[in-house]
Amino acid sequence: MGGGVGSWTSGVGVQRDDLMPLVYGELRRIAARYISRERPGQTLQPTALVNEAYVRLAAERPREFANKTHFLAIAALSMRQILVQRARARNAQKRGGAPHRVTLDDRNVSAEAPAGIDVLALDEALTRLAEFDAEQARIVELRYFGGLTVEETADVLGSSPATVKRHWAMARAWLKQAIEPGAPAPAE
Amino acid sequence: MNVERWARLKALFEGALDQPADARTAWLREACGTDESLLREAEALLHTHQTDDDFLEQPAQIDPADLEPFADGTVLGSYRIVREIGRGGMGVVYLAYDTRLERDVALKALPPVLAADADLRRRLRREANAAARIKHDAVAVVHALEEIDEHLVIVSEYVQGETLRAVLSHGAIDPSRAHSFAVEIAGALAAAHEAGVIHRDLKPENIIVTETGRVKVVDFGIAHVEAPEGTRMTVPGRALGTPAYMAPEQLVGGVVTPRVDVYAFGIVFSEMLTGVHPLMGTGATVPPRFAALVARCVQTSPDERYGSGAELLRALVSDITPPALEATAGAPIGSPRWWWEFHQAITAAVYWVMTWPAWMGRQSVGGRVGRALFIAILIAVIAAANLRLYLWFTSRFYPAELRWARRRVGSWVRGADWLFVIALATMGILVGEDRSPVAVVLIAVASGAAIAFLFIERGTARAAFRSSTTARTSTPP
Repeated sequence: MGGGVGSWTSGVGVQRDDLMPLVYGELRRIAARYISRERPGQTLQPTALVNEAYVRLAAERPREFANKTHFLAIAALSMRQILVQRARARNAQKRGGAPHRVTLDDRNVSAEAPAGIDVLALDEALTRLAEFDAEQARIVELRYFGGLTVEETADVLGSSPATVKRHWAMARAWLKQAIEPGAPAPAE
Repeated sequence: MNVERWARLKALFEGALDQPADARTAWLREACGTDESLLREAEALLHTHQTDDDFLEQPAQIDPADLEPFADGTVLGSYRIVREIGRGGMGVVYLAYDTRLERDVALKALPPVLAADADLRRRLRREANAAARIKHDAVAVVHALEEIDEHLVIVSEYVQGETLRAVLSHGAIDPSRAHSFAVEIAGALAAAHEAGVIHRDLKPENIIVTETGRVKVVDFGIAHVEAPEGTRMTVPGRALGTPAYMAPEQLVGGVVTPRVDVYAFGIVFSEMLTGVHPLMGTGATVPPRFAALVARCVQTSPDERYGSGAELLRALVSDITPPALEATAGAPIGSPRWWWEFHQAITAAVYWVMTWPAWMGRQSVGGRVGRALFIAILIAVIAAANLRLYLWFTSRFYPAELRWARRRVGSWVRGADWLFVIALATMGILVGEDRSPVAVVLIAVASGAAIAFLFIERGTARAAFRSSTTARTSTPP
């Protein structure tokens, strides 16, 4: 697996979904409004974004978005794609591939991913994890990229909070080994 | 890892968690039996879990600006987004493909919140129209301003290369090269001011050094259109644009004239020469012959600066004494550079001497063919020998420009060498039918010259320029 969202297929929740462009567009619109109101550099929790998007979409298109759990799955996947794409663009620019760096003001946006997590490495590890445990990978996507609580995650997956917690613990440990240099190497 | 093994690992991990903390290791050992590697994996996982901080417990933090860009491949009107290449407060810049005119373009999309402002849109359109009229080699062409869906999109020439900022990250630029960049930038400003456009935000990030070593100034006029209140352009405590390059009157919101560009130019030029921004206070000084010009550019009072790009350009080309003999004269005898110089001089001399046997060969071959071959040899000798002497002279007296000189004439020298060798060898073969000793000379020198420029010169050049040829090979993919 080459990793990355593009090559990323079955298992982890929704795949290319018809509603995806709608959700993606709504998330972007909300973000644009935040940008116009907030100070640069301020970050958001995905939870806030995702909930706001749901409220708006469910009001505008009640039929398509009647099923909230389906929406949450799409939203988490969208957030993952967005963050991965941003991280790639940032890397490309850092490597000096920014031939036309137009700066309209001096605000050179968001330096590093917060909390020191390398989104690209996480994405790749998650893609690998999905190969042998789709459910755990999906839990991570929902919780980390979608900002869902354990209960909400259990709802989306139709499972119990206790099960989600157990799987979450193992997935976290494995992913940490996979992407953090200090941790013991993960089992391949 | 496969599904089966993962399932066993999962059973072990969860089973161990059900045990009291101090009994887990023993339980695992028993459950794994003889499978040592499985035991190790399970122990590692358990260990990571138990010593874990809050890895992934906090959901991803999202900078709203991260959600702003278009995904690669998005289609906007007749443009297809290829990838993001830069961003600033007023929008994200993409490399895009214009499917109608089938060319790459740089596309700056202003966020809907800015595009929605009718007044801003009008001003931006006016600026873009003015910028589109600037015609100068060192100005990136603005193609169009388009309204696509809710976006306002500025389409301009896609310039491939590194920003001057990236070039400066390797340190100062040698003075003669900095001077030639400065001339091009001043020319761009002159053309813009002529067309009634003020850049307003000239800085190393807005100057691209192309792969051919030319410079292009991007973002004329459109860099800086004031946005309405309440958008992030006017974040409190943050002046529009880039304070480090802004003229004092621009910082305090005074009247903006072409002289603000002259000021910014002065800072940029000084930074090219020293490698650092003049306000950094590192004590680096501008070479004396540029000092007066730079000082005049960065005067606090606009009236004391050059009045426009044209005036600046005139000063740059006429008031500056050539980068004469201030550079260290010639390389020490026996050094690789000296050998390279020696090679250039000797080769030039040998080429000239060969006109004599070539003349004899001409008589012996006779007719049109003989004349044509002789003329070809003469042309090759004049070109190759003179270009070599030029390189030799540059190396002796203007070493700072040598890298440029070599790049500029390298392929011509190579071409002249080939012409020389081929014409000489052909003549030698034709003369050979008469068994003349001239044939031996011609063929011997032709082969000697081929060996010299194919192998020996490469060797001396590699030894002499090892450091300078590896220094500047980083170009974007």
